[in-house]
Formats: sequence, C-alpha cells, structure tokens
Amino acid sequence: MADQTSTYLLEMQNISKSFPGVKALDSVELKIRKGSVHALMGENGAGKSTLMKCLFGIYHKDEGDIFLEGEQVNFTSSREALDNGVSMVHQELNQVRSTRIMDNIWLGRFPKKGLFIDEEKMYQDTLKIFEELDIKLDPRTKAGELPVSESQMVEIAKAVSYNSKLIVMDEPTSSLTEKEVSHLFKIINALKDRGVSVIYISHKMEEIGKICDEVTIMRDGKWIATRRIDDITTDEIINLMVGRDLTHRFPPKSNHPSEVILSVDNITAQYQPSIKSVSFDLRKGEILGVAGLVGSKRTDLLEALFGDRQIGEGTISLFGKAVKFKSPHDAIKNGFALVTEERRATGIFPNQDISFNAVIANIDAYISKTGLLDESNIGRDTDWVIDSMSVKTPSKKTRIMSLSGGNQQKVIIGRWLLTEPDVLLMDEPTRGIDVGAKYDIYQLMINLADKGKAVVMVSSEMPELLGITDRILVMSNGRLAGIVETATTTQEEILRLSAKYL
Amino acid sequence: MSEKTDHKSIDYLKKFLDYVMNNVIFFVLFLLMIVIVVIDPRFISLTNIRNIFAQASTRTIFALGVGTIIVAKGTDLSLGRQVGLAAVISASLLQAPAYAYRMYPDLPALPVIVPILLVMLITGLFSFINGVVVAKFKVDPFIATLGMMVIVYGVNSIYYDRPPYGAQPIGGLDPRFANIAQGYFEIQGIIIPYLVIYAVVAVALMWVLWNKTKFGKNLFAVGGNPEAAAVSGVDVAKMLIMVYTLAGLLYGLGGSLEAARIGSATNNTGNMYELDAISACIVGGLSFSGGIGSIAGIVTGVLIFQLIAYGLNFIGVNPYLQYVIKGLIIITAVAIDNRKYIKRK
Amino acid sequence: MRKFLSMLLVIVMVLSMAACSSTPAASGSSSSGGASDAAAEKPMIGVTIYKYDDNFMSFVRRAIETEAGDKVELSMNDSQNSQATQNDQVDTMISKGAKALAINLVDPQAADAIITKAKAADIPVVFFNKEPDATVLASYDKAWYVGTTSSESGVIQGELISQMWQDNADWDRNGDGVMNYVLLKGEPGHPDAEARTKYAVDTVVAAGIQVNELELQTGMWDSVKGKELMDAWIAKHGDDIEVVIANNDGMALGAIQSLTANGYFDSGKYMPVFGVDAIPDALEQIKGNKMAGTVLNDAKNQGKATFELAYNVAMGKDPLDGTSWTLDDTKAVRVPYVAVTMDNIAFGEEAYK
Repeated sequence: MADQTSTYLLEMQNISKSFPGVKALDSVELKIRKGSVHALMGENGAGKSTLMKCLFGIYHKDEGDIFLEGEQVNFTSSREALDNGVSMVHQELNQVRSTRIMDNIWLGRFPKKGLFIDEEKMYQDTLKIFEELDIKLDPRTKAGELPVSESQMVEIAKAVSYNSKLIVMDEPTSSLTEKEVSHLFKIINALKDRGVSVIYISHKMEEIGKICDEVTIMRDGKWIATRRIDDITTDEIINLMVGRDLTHRFPPKSNHPSEVILSVDNITAQYQPSIKSVSFDLRKGEILGVAGLVGSKRTDLLEALFGDRQIGEGTISLFGKAVKFKSPHDAIKNGFALVTEERRATGIFPNQDISFNAVIANIDAYISKTGLLDESNIGRDTDWVIDSMSVKTPSKKTRIMSLSGGNQQKVIIGRWLLTEPDVLLMDEPTRGIDVGAKYDIYQLMINLADKGKAVVMVSSEMPELLGITDRILVMSNGRLAGIVETATTTQEEILRLSAKYL
Repeated sequence: MSEKTDHKSIDYLKKFLDYVMNNVIFFVLFLLMIVIVVIDPRFISLTNIRNIFAQASTRTIFALGVGTIIVAKGTDLSLGRQVGLAAVISASLLQAPAYAYRMYPDLPALPVIVPILLVMLITGLFSFINGVVVAKFKVDPFIATLGMMVIVYGVNSIYYDRPPYGAQPIGGLDPRFANIAQGYFEIQGIIIPYLVIYAVVAVALMWVLWNKTKFGKNLFAVGGNPEAAAVSGVDVAKMLIMVYTLAGLLYGLGGSLEAARIGSATNNTGNMYELDAISACIVGGLSFSGGIGSIAGIVTGVLIFQLIAYGLNFIGVNPYLQYVIKGLIIITAVAIDNRKYIKRK
Repeated sequence: MRKFLSMLLVIVMVLSMAACSSTPAASGSSSSGGASDAAAEKPMIGVTIYKYDDNFMSFVRRAIETEAGDKVELSMNDSQNSQATQNDQVDTMISKGAKALAINLVDPQAADAIITKAKAADIPVVFFNKEPDATVLASYDKAWYVGTTSSESGVIQGELISQMWQDNADWDRNGDGVMNYVLLKGEPGHPDAEARTKYAVDTVVAAGIQVNELELQTGMWDSVKGKELMDAWIAKHGDDIEVVIANNDGMALGAIQSLTANGYFDSGKYMPVFGVDAIPDALEQIKGNKMAGTVLNDAKNQGKATFELAYNVAMGKDPLDGTSWTLDDTKAVRVPYVAVTMDNIAFGEEAYK
C-alpha cells in the first residue's frame, strides 16, 4: 500500500455498475499518477461518464474500490469529493448566471467578516487565482455575460480554489477556438506544475497527443488498455476505441454541387450585435461549412436563415423566389431544418421517448384522415431513424434522457431527416460525439448531398470542415470574411480570415 | 452457488422494494382502505362506489383542464373562481319558471344546452385571456392566473349580488337542468349516474387528444422543452393559448354540472377547487416542470382524493385531521415520485 | 408603444371605476344620497357590513336601506371580511362627519377598537348581528347592540323538531320510540354552530324524546359538503336515519339533494330535514314538501331595528324613541327567531318581499 501512494493519486479498481437491463461498467480500472494528465477515451456509451459519476458519488457503484492517495474513499456527493480535493469541470456548465464570477467561485463558503460576507477578500482571492492561471477577467463580471470558453476558465479557477488534487475535465475544448484551446493547455500545464492531476475526457486525437501523459481506453463498459501516450499511435487508439479498424476518419466524398437553390443577399439582423451584411449562395448537393471564432455569430446566421432571428435588411431567395420566414414553422414548411448546438437546451425533450423525439418536427405528416395520428407510420419512421442512424437503444420507447450524448444527437439529426428538408442547417453537429458516430454523421451528410439536398454545417473543428465540405464560409465578428474552396484552402487561410474584422 | 442465489434473492427484494416505492401511493391508499374497512365493513358497497365516482366526476373534468395546462409547464389558479362563475351563470339562467325567487323573473325556460354553451364560451374567453397573457406577455402563469382568479371572483360577485334578491344562493333549478347531473341509468340493478358518463366521455376525449393527435404531441413538446419545440416548428404561443382555452371550456362545462349537481350556486361555489384539482394532478404524477404526465394519472389522482375524502367522512374522522392526511398524501406522493426522476439522472 | 399601453390602462381603469360607481351593489363604498343639496340637512349614518356577499347580511343590508329611505344619507361599506378594512372604513366615516355608526363587526373581539374611535369623536355606535363582549359594550354609554340570542335559533329548531316528531308518529320508522338522527354541523368552534348543535338536541331531549345520534360531522356550512356527507350516511345507514338536522339551510339543501337522488320524496318515501336561516330556496323546498322546517333569522326586523336605533341616536334622541323594541340589561335589542313550516310559509316569504 505504501509504495502505491507514492505513484498513484487515484486508483479505481474493479468498478462495476448495472442499470436495469444494461451492465454499464464491468470491472473497470483507472489509475492516475500524481501530477499527470490522463486521457480517458472511448466512444459515447463506453462508460466514461458513468465511471466519473461513480467516482463523484452521483451513482452508487455496485462493486469495486476507490483509493485516493492510498486511502479508501467512497464519496456520496460531489460536494464531499470537492472537499477531498477532487473536482469536475462539466461538459454542460452549471453556473448561477445572474450572479458575479466570484460569487460562483466561492458559493457555499463565502469568506466572512463577522456576520457579513467579506467582499474585498473574496475579490482579492479570486484575482490571485486568476493571475496564477493567467485568466484575464474581472471577478465582478456577471457569470451570465461570459461566453462558454470563459465560463470554463472560471470553472477551472473554482476547482483550483478548492485546492483540488485532481480535476476532471469533460470535453473541455468542445466549444473553444484554437486560440482558447492553447490558453487552456497553458492552464493545464500550470496545474501540472502545482502537482495537480487531470483526467481529460475528449474525443479529439490531436489534443490528446499534445497535452496528455497517459491514456486509458474504454469500450462497452469495459477497461481496454492504459498506455503511455508516447507508446501509442492515433490509429491504435481509434482501433482500440471502436474495436475494429477504422482507417478513414472521413467517408469518401461523392456529392456534386449543381445549381443554386438558396441565395442570401446582404442580410443584416434586426437586433444587433449580430450578423451584418452577409451574402452567399448555396447549391443543390453542396455541403457548405461555416467557420469562425466563438462569438463570430455563426449560430445567428443559421437562426436568421431558419426564421428564428428577425432580419432587418436584405433578402433571402429560395429557388429564385424571395422568402421571408416569420417563425421556424414557416422555415420548416419551406423545406428547412435546423440541428441546434445546445442539445440539452434546444434539442431534446428529455422526458419523452425516442419515438416522440424522432417524429415531433414531422408531426403533420402523420395526421390521418380521421385527424388522429397514425401510430404505425410513426413506429415505422422511428425504426428508420434508429436503424439508419445506428442509434444504440434498448427500444424506441426508451426515454431519450437515458441515452448517451452521441445517440441523442443521432436521434435529433434523424428527426430532421424525416422532414426531408431541402436545406439542412447543422450547428456543431458532431460536438461531444465519438469517432465512430462522427463518421456515421459525415456519411449521412454526404448521402443527403448526393440526393440533391444542401447542407450548411457550422463547426469549430478544422479537420471536419476541411474533410467533408465543398466550400467554407468564414465569419468574423458578425460579418462575412470570405468564402473559400475547400479543395484549395488551408487551415492558415481560414484562421487569417477569422481574424479579419476583430 | 449459494452466493449466486443470495444475489438473486437480494435482487428480487430490491426489485420488489423499487416497485413498492414507485407505486407507493397505491399502497398507502390500499392501507387506508383496509383501515377504513376494518373500522366499518359497510364501506364495501355498490352505493359507496357509485357515490365516489359520481362525486369525482366534476372534479375529474376540472383536473383534466388544469392537468393539460400543467403538462404545458403552466398552472391555473383561476380554476375555482371560473367554476364558480360558470355555476352561477348557468344556474341563474336555468331556474325553474315556477320558482318564486328567480334572478330573471321573466326569462322563459331555455333549452338546457344553451346556457351551458354560453357559460363555456365565457370561461373559454377568460381562459383565452390567461393564455394570451402567459404566452404573449410572458407573465408567469402563477401570477397571470392569480390575477385572473381575483378578477373572475369580482366579476362573478357583481353578477351574483344584484337585485331583485341580492347575494342569495341561486336555487330552484329547472328539473331538466338538475336531472342532467342528478339523473342516472339503471342497468341490471346497477345505478350509473349521468355524471359518471360525462366524466368518462371527457376522459376518453382528452386521452385521444393527448395521445393520438398533433395537439397532444405538441403539448408535450411545449411543456418538456419550449425552446426545442420552437425550433421544431411548434408555434409555442399558439399552443399555450389553445391549452388555456381548452381548460376554460372544461371549467365551463364542469361548473355548469357542478351547479346542477349541488342544486344551487353561490359566488363562493368552486372556491379552492383549483387546489384540489392541482393536487390531484400532482399526486397522479404530473410535474410542474412540464412535459410529464398521463390522463390515467390525473384520473387516479382525482379518485385517490375522492376515495380518501369519502372514506374518512364515512368512518367519521375529524375534518381537521382530514386536512392533515390530505396534505401528507400530497407531499409524500410528490417526494416519492420525484425519486423516480432523480434516480436515473 | 409603452406610452400607448399605459394610456390605455388608465382609460380602462377610469371607465371601469365609473361603471362600478353607477351600480351601488357592486361598489365597495357608496352613498345613497349622492347629490350635495340634500346632504346638508340629512344626517349621515355610516354602516359597515362584514361581507357583502354573505346571504343573510345582504338581506339585513337591504332592510336597512329600505328603512332609511330618504330620511338620512347612508354610507354603506363592504368590509370584505377584513377587520383592518373595517377599521379604516370607520375612520373614513368619522372624518366624513357621520352622526352615528352601525357596525356589523368582522371579528366580534374587535369592538374595543371601534368604540375607542367612536368615543374619541363622540359618535354613537349601534353594533348589529355580531355581538361584542358585554363588558366592552358597557364601557361606552353610546353603544348598543341589535341581534339575536345565539342559543335561541337552536332552541327554536329543537322545539320545532319535538313538536313535529310528536305530531307525526310515522316518522319513527322502526317504531322503537327513539329518534335516530344525523346532524350536519357548521364550522367547528363557530359560536352559532356550537350553540345550534347543543341547544337543538338538548331541547328535543328536554321535551322527553329519546334520541340516538347516528352521525355528527361538520359540513362547514357548505351545501356541497352537506350533500356529500349525506351520500355517505345514506350508504351507511340507509333507512335507519329518521331525522336530518342541519345547522343551516345550505347544508340542509345539500342533504335534500342527496336524499332526492337516493329515492326519497318520491312515492311516499319521506325524510324530515330541518335547517336554520329560511333562505328562499329552503322556503321553496318546504312548499314542495321536501323540507320539514327551518328557523327564520329575521333579517328584516334586524335591519329595521338597527336602522331605527342608529337613526334615533343620530338625531340625538333616545335609542328606543318611537319604536316597539326593548333593551335587555346588556343594552341589546334581541330580535326573535321564528320557526317556519308549511303552516306559516307566507310569513317566511314576507321576509323577502
């Protein structure tokens, strides 16, 4: 026991956890060295989140032991874990948006002066942590005013403020730009220097190679391997994760853009700051990428196209006819579909089953002559979504909340495919999704384009933009910085355009 | 080997306990029934069952209305007062021509359906306003309907407290009107009150509406995640307005039946009915967070409350203690029901 | 846009206020004098009613208004079941120069505060319908009370029941000489409910009739509850019930609904039901032979007495001047209750003319 304490900060041994009908974890082990960054990888549904929930006591593990610095621990709440130096930076950030950053950091343990809160000390302490981590924010800013990337920094600062020995980061870069990612890595290195260990959950191979020391790979609730990062290649990791050979990350492109179906002429949103004077054409059978930094209003552009954001000036023509969508309902009727970025907030109906989530946008199609819904058609289409999107689920009556993030996303994409849209708008469609599922989604996009549909995809992942689009529209600070041909452009050119109007 | 069987029996025990916890309200109910029957075995009788169902009928209709609103992530405190308004207006228009103290002494005997439809139109309109205020002006449903509750009471009192007889209970109802609520069929010695038929029809129609129509799917979408519903092409505001209006129509119908059932109406008829209806919905598994619930749940909730109220009256439990029991049941039911959702998070 | 909305709001409010003040019954406070010319000579009497939509009080209110005619300027107030509101209204009336106050307390314990105000302004007060404590009433020489003896309604109901029980031998359905009754009580703790329950039964027993209480449960004055309790009791006791006694007509009417639904009052099946209050619907049921009797709380005479006393003291005369009332030793006028049955139904109906 004594020499284990010298090597490992955290040891999880033989962890098992079952849910009704599923064995979510099967004798999993995870060993984290002191002061190391440890990647935890696996496809969605491989059990990463479940394992972490067992660590933090959100789930009660069925079997197995957890040792922290050689001492057996059994946390019953994330608060207890936090008090013992184990903290988590969540994928979906939980902050009190209406209060200041520093209130969020010290929530539940405000420094007191007598009966009152010691505002000055709280401010200074926050500032000190920010300086250490090279975070340039005013602790008095409202948490709700921060973009996702900065909220995440605050979460990390909060973890540091608890003197955490171990910080779990769940998909920390999924919504960060390249520049922000490098800042995050600087912070992670600073943490390492302080002797803090990091569990780094991510699907991004490039990052894992750059920042991690070791990697543990899980598949189907089982531990597969733990290696030093220098002893393993990206391909090997992918092979271990999916359990089969996956030589290509992107499917071969077979679509051919033809005539223009959508013409956007100089549109400006009614309420600023938002998009200004954006013009572009979209062709039949085309996959158009939208690149840009966080805050470049890429999502606003999709919302404006989808009738969910009021357009002040400019016109949109569909098949040569000017259209004006007053609501998403209008847009849908005209053959538009939007897969939103915030899956939890604007995508899923958490308490409903897969069937409901799959058919809700296409509900008009199931109204029979009697005015009632045709259950058999609904069932057939749900089956189609599950099969064609390879959704992993016990049944179509399963509540969507109990699926993994990637499978939820597949159901949502399926929802929109059912409406047979002419123009499919996708906002970060592969965010937080594992490699295998990403491939499926790319394939779907190409198949759609093959059938003459047009796809617009907003993405922060340069490889996928370069991998499957035909052209890339680059946004900068709400304005159109340029449109480039994917075949001839480079990552550098896109980055240069992204910064054009900053 | 023996270890394995141990595991298995523990598993069964766990499963059984889970089952008990998930359905604890029924077990509590079952226990209460046993207690009541032990104290007075006469409780088991067809008459009692008929009484319970008949008394639950109008309450079911109200709960169906407010339950639909709750699924759409709303609430409606104006229910009771709207029921009161419906009862007073329908009673005032349907007093027997021979009755000496009529609000409208010269009013001819109207076809019963006319005042009922009129009343449904009126409560539908008030509820439509609720819907507009909630959906378009984004006023919190609690506040919007709280305001409406007071307004409707005021309107009702103005209507009620007028010459020639002032604030008098409106009685002496036209027998045709009284009969729609107090009448019954008799099939092979079993008496089925008309009221129960209305409730069954209302339940059936609402079940179809919730489960088999676009309205139903959109209802759960709007309640479960309004933003996702909006991007899925649901007109959220229109849905909310429709949901409130539908509830208003049900209050109007139920309120008229309530007047006919009681045989008279005052401006205090229906007072606090919203709390009974909302509690029944909540005990039946609807959630204030929206998008969760079933018609079966609502009916169960109403029946549970009626069964308890009737049973406790039957054995003569102190009415104050009845309040305590009712309150405990509400809290217990919801606490245990939440457990279902917390567990799987 | 916002300006327009607030304008709209103001307009709507002004209009609705105007609309309200044109219908006296609907407004919180109104004057029946109105025009300023006559107001100078006529004394003003301030009247508060604890709650306008109380059935019984609405008749007392009308009786006061009828009695008053053009003789005085009445300032009528709805205290909306809130003693705080009533106290404010009393302040307002005093400052408006009322010559006398007629107060229907919300909370009988609050008489003290009213007397303090009246004393300070040297204005006489006539309390009515809700009786202040005798010592409080005695503390101010210009304070009187008009009401009833609360036990009396129970006694009269009891006498009525005994009388009719002895006259109708067939009411004793099983012929055992014992009256098997169920009793619908008002709100527990309410003085009227307690007194009526106690004295009704005590009076029957005092008349030498043996009784057996099958059920006693509160219906909270409410006809819905009255009906639902009766449903359960019929299911439980069936024909064993021989008499239904209710603390008020509302519950009695609820019981009658239940009885009718269970086949009573049809083809010779009868159940004697007794109430208190003699509201119009109850009178109608008596005429239809579905209710045995009720007790009239004489709203007309209570209103009449209240006004006459208040008018006399406002004019500086002796309170009983020119009236037929008498004061008891607590400075109270006791208006008698009257039993109403088929035999004197016309008298009951007179109360609503």
